[in-house]
Amino acid sequence: MQEDHAALAARYFDGQTSRLYHVTLSVRDGQAVLAGDIERSCPLGELHVSERSSHAVRKVSFPDGAYLEIANQAAFSDMLHDTGHRDGWVVRLQQSWRGALLATVATVLALWLSYQYLLPVVAKGVAYAIPQSVERQLGQGVLDFLDRHVFAPSQLDAARQQALRSQFARLATPGDSTPEHRIVFRKSKIGPNAFALPSGDIVLTDEMIELLPDDQAIMGVLAHELGHLQQRHLTRRLIQTSAVGAGAALLFGDVSTVVATLPPLLLDLKYSRDVEREADDYAIAMLRQNGIALEHLAQVFVALGKLDEGTPYLSSHPASTERVTRIRSAGH
Amino acid sequence: MDFDTNNTTPQREAITFSATGSEYFRIWIVNLLLSIVTLGIYSAWAKVRRNRYFYSSTHLAGSSFEYHGNAVAILKGRIAAVVLIGGYNIAFQISPVVGLVMLVLMMAVLPWLVWKSLQFKLYNTSYRGIRFGFDGSARQAYKYFLWLPILNTFTAGLMTPFLHQRLKRFQHTQSRFGSSNFSFDATVGSFYKTYLLFFALLLAGFLVLIFIVFASVFAAFATSANDATKASGIFGAVAALYAWAFIVLPLFLTMIQNLIWNHTRLQQHQFQSQLTWGRTTFIMLTNLLGIVVTLGLFSPFAHVRWLKYRLEATSMLVHGSLDAFVAATGEQVSTTGEGMVDLLDFDLSM
Repeated sequence: MQEDHAALAARYFDGQTSRLYHVTLSVRDGQAVLAGDIERSCPLGELHVSERSSHAVRKVSFPDGAYLEIANQAAFSDMLHDTGHRDGWVVRLQQSWRGALLATVATVLALWLSYQYLLPVVAKGVAYAIPQSVERQLGQGVLDFLDRHVFAPSQLDAARQQALRSQFARLATPGDSTPEHRIVFRKSKIGPNAFALPSGDIVLTDEMIELLPDDQAIMGVLAHELGHLQQRHLTRRLIQTSAVGAGAALLFGDVSTVVATLPPLLLDLKYSRDVEREADDYAIAMLRQNGIALEHLAQVFVALGKLDEGTPYLSSHPASTERVTRIRSAGH
Repeated sequence: MDFDTNNTTPQREAITFSATGSEYFRIWIVNLLLSIVTLGIYSAWAKVRRNRYFYSSTHLAGSSFEYHGNAVAILKGRIAAVVLIGGYNIAFQISPVVGLVMLVLMMAVLPWLVWKSLQFKLYNTSYRGIRFGFDGSARQAYKYFLWLPILNTFTAGLMTPFLHQRLKRFQHTQSRFGSSNFSFDATVGSFYKTYLLFFALLLAGFLVLIFIVFASVFAAFATSANDATKASGIFGAVAALYAWAFIVLPLFLTMIQNLIWNHTRLQQHQFQSQLTWGRTTFIMLTNLLGIVVTLGLFSPFAHVRWLKYRLEATSMLVHGSLDAFVAATGEQVSTTGEGMVDLLDFDLSM
């Protein structure tokens, strides 16, 4: 224990009143010794020293709530060093630029890895763990909403609807189990569209049926949507976007909620392209299993590709030409 | 005690804030990394670290503030919050009835949590070794955080300025430093004046913009411009409306914060707040821009800039000396509310 340090000027507060005492602090025989407006000594082991930082005042607290403020950081650091006090590793990391740089790289890496690998796995696990009854209710509200605002009853006659349903029902599905589903026909204000809801409803618009060249192509579309259901895509997507949203809100939330809503939107676009491919793969497998030529499915995207590029159906999906190439190459 | 007779010239003590963006950046990034790799558990300790740094960097009359919050207590609150918020979000998807039950439950516990959080926050703040505290009762908390807001929805929000005044009065008069209470004397009228001015300006700007927009849209159609020009005209108009709202909002923030603190006192010592519209707007806009451009890395700098400006615009007119305050005795504070209110993102600081 070195004792040759000059006493440090400090401000002392007793924890009972707001009165300021000017004192000096020195270390002698393992004791912190105060002199000046008040005289006091205390074993070093009973004192608590606040963390080092370059711009905040350091404090030494006594067990009874009294404490010291020391302005001369450098001299105090020397004194602490001589008493054998060491900063925790987190503090050392925080105080060095190299540590901060390392932490930045590691943070970006951790965020990227968890988005890329961890989140999909977790979302998938959660989606499959959610009871089907809950998932059902999730989608039911959506269809009700769409019926009120976007859809009108289908103009397709009942016999034709039933024919399409039973034709699809006769097809074998890949995988061990066929997801429960119900095919619903609607007339829409938003053009040709087909999608699956977590409730198991596969919605097909009249416009979509008009657009497609033959019934086999319709089967292709239905198989694609069944693929979404099988993989629980929408539920997974809901889980993922809310997780990204919550993460972004935690990261940037205290500054601006506007900024925090951007990342989920941006990241969602990439997600949807991936799941479209997965659903395409399911459709490819299903058509193959039933001996339907893949060209029928390819024709779906040829037809969709001829439509204006700006339709909502296409914007979040992979480019049609890319999908057509992919489906055709799967046939060889 | 009569202070005014023997002490006529108050001394102005400005708050100074010595934290820097670059140092906070290092604390922030290490906190962030540890929070991520511990799946959020560390965030409670991160909060304690951050607050300790900020409080110790805030000086008044040569002494700094201190944060005493306990990380384990905050963590417990956060876990409870995650469960409650998670349950709340799922509830409506299960069935409207379950959702409604959860909503009622949330409304019933929230005021209590806000109340506990106020106690926790103040009790864990000290200056010159003396802790702050909060006296208000649970009954009052329910009145100001539940009944009056519900009542307000029936008046189409017309009661908002009144409610805001009552809330601040409750918060400021029930807060104390040691055994000395704060006082608050801003009138309901002054709150209405501030709100009215804000709305008048907002509306006037909107009317002018709408006029310009209509004129330009008519012009665009008259000259049979193509769709791109029309679309960009409408897009520009919407952007202008947003920009105007973003300029007027800082004005409101500035006025209301000045109003509140210029009418708050600790015994005979008067607070003063001198935020200006221009500077507030400049800081908010550049902060937003910085965060977007750097994909979030600027946010610790933004946080320090904004805090520094707000704190340093505040000062205290000290009558006599700050040496005479005495700690309150027998204080005991529960910590349940804190982590909760954190996650629900209430900001009661304004």
